[in-house]
Amino acid sequence: MSSSDSTFKRFIEVGRVVLLKSGPFSGKIAVIAEIIDHNRAIIDGPTTGVTRQSYPYKHLTLTPLTLAKLPRAAGSGVIKKHLEKEATIEKWDKSSWAQRRAATEARRNLNDFGRFGVMLAKKARRDVVRKTVFKAKKST
Amino acid sequence: MARSKELVPGVGRLSRSQVAARRGLYKGLKKSEKPAATESPATIEKSVGGDKNGGKRLIPTSKASRFYPAEDVRLPKKSRKSPKPASIRSSITPGTVLILLAGRFRGKRVVFLKQLASGLLLVTGPFKVNGVPLRRVNQAYVIATTTKLELEGFTVDEKINDAYFAKAVTKGPRSAEAEFFEEGKPKAKEAFPESKSADQKEIDKAILASVKKTENLAKYLKASWGLSKGQFPHQLVF
Amino acid sequence: MGLQEFQVIGRHLPTESDPTPKIFRMRIFAPNEVVAKSRFWYFLRQLKKVKKANGEIIGVNVIHEKKPLKVKNFGIWIRYDSRSGTHNMYKEFRDLSRADAVKSLYQDMAARHRARFRSIHILRVIEIEKSADVRRPYIKQLMTPNLKFPLPHRVTKIRSTFIAHRPSTF
Repeated sequence: MSSSDSTFKRFIEVGRVVLLKSGPFSGKIAVIAEIIDHNRAIIDGPTTGVTRQSYPYKHLTLTPLTLAKLPRAAGSGVIKKHLEKEATIEKWDKSSWAQRRAATEARRNLNDFGRFGVMLAKKARRDVVRKTVFKAKKST
Repeated sequence: MARSKELVPGVGRLSRSQVAARRGLYKGLKKSEKPAATESPATIEKSVGGDKNGGKRLIPTSKASRFYPAEDVRLPKKSRKSPKPASIRSSITPGTVLILLAGRFRGKRVVFLKQLASGLLLVTGPFKVNGVPLRRVNQAYVIATTTKLELEGFTVDEKINDAYFAKAVTKGPRSAEAEFFEEGKPKAKEAFPESKSADQKEIDKAILASVKKTENLAKYLKASWGLSKGQFPHQLVF
Repeated sequence: MGLQEFQVIGRHLPTESDPTPKIFRMRIFAPNEVVAKSRFWYFLRQLKKVKKANGEIIGVNVIHEKKPLKVKNFGIWIRYDSRSGTHNMYKEFRDLSRADAVKSLYQDMAARHRARFRSIHILRVIEIEKSADVRRPYIKQLMTPNLKFPLPHRVTKIRSTFIAHRPSTF
């Protein structure tokens, strides 16, 4: 099965970077080290704090990132080397997906006073926008 | 059971409702003060005639009953427990901003000052910022936020205790008739005591100074708190 | 609830005629030690003239997987009592440990044949070391080099706890 005849873009494959959706490692990324069967794979995240373990596909999401040259059933050390060489973690952190996740997380962790500050900032922004739009309308 | 004479130990002549009717508590509690009880000696010395009787004898003023109850009536056990001082949530420390959840000022954000002896929390708005005066609140009706004011070296005057907040008792009997006819007429509003408003100002001065140190904090205290759509209090960080 | 692999060792009680009875050892897959001992007596009395009343258990140990993070292919031979007769079977499983493979065997038998734990005897469990020895196509397909497949039909279900929803197939 070659990927060229498929309309899918992300595959379960050795080296695929995945985002974990549940459990104690929820929200972290890891790499598929080996495919067990149609439902599970062995994942490992030596640089993201995810221990090597079997993980069901149901509880993970595929990311567009892969470690293309990762051999099958590679150990943690090899995966770490590949991750560092391809700078996958940095790529992930720079992706808009990860940044959006970080932003929502940060917003969720704001305390009551922080939320109030956000409200004030939004109000101020609205005010500026409204005034400029009004001015622009008037001039035309 | 003074009115209800005991027929058998533990059982009175009158039923509970009869006793209640005779006590007449629906008329209101008794206002008159009891006359001071005069101390009467337990025994009296009396002179007795006869040669062999020693001349004098100690006689109890109140004779002991000739009978004693045949059945034992159990007395309820005295509780030896004493109330412990109320413990306060660890998240509430002096200077913490609290959100009031019940009462007249529900939704207001206030500043915690100290815990009173009764276990209630002493809070203030400050009054100038959001109109909440010095007030006592139960900690159950409060959300503690992580926002804290710096109240270094600030102590609340000792005179502000639970008694300070007690309602002044109006003495003297007021006839029910007068009260009935007074209804409908606007009552003369009592002026807020000068001393209390001075206390309020005195305390708020220190707090307002520390409120001003943080930007937007006064605005924050002035705004009231509420939940909007899709917000659940257990999922929020305070 | 998973299964564990136990090593159960037992023998006939020593008698006058046989002061040193033969010791028997079995590897048994069971949810716990109690079931393991029970299964040991169940199998032993079928094979030898020893039963629980005149025998004793010398020791029970848990056998742990040596490499629980390596994917292995297992071949399992079983004897299974169906509603109409007794069959022998050979099945292959791809899993991380022998106990996990046996667990998925029980699940598979329950699904395909409605077979219960009591009607299945595990005869032999081996790890298939050479990939050429794998017989079943459903295992072979997972061993192709550069295996990759998409995850179609990914449906995220975000459902409120308190609002009723119509049932849907996805």
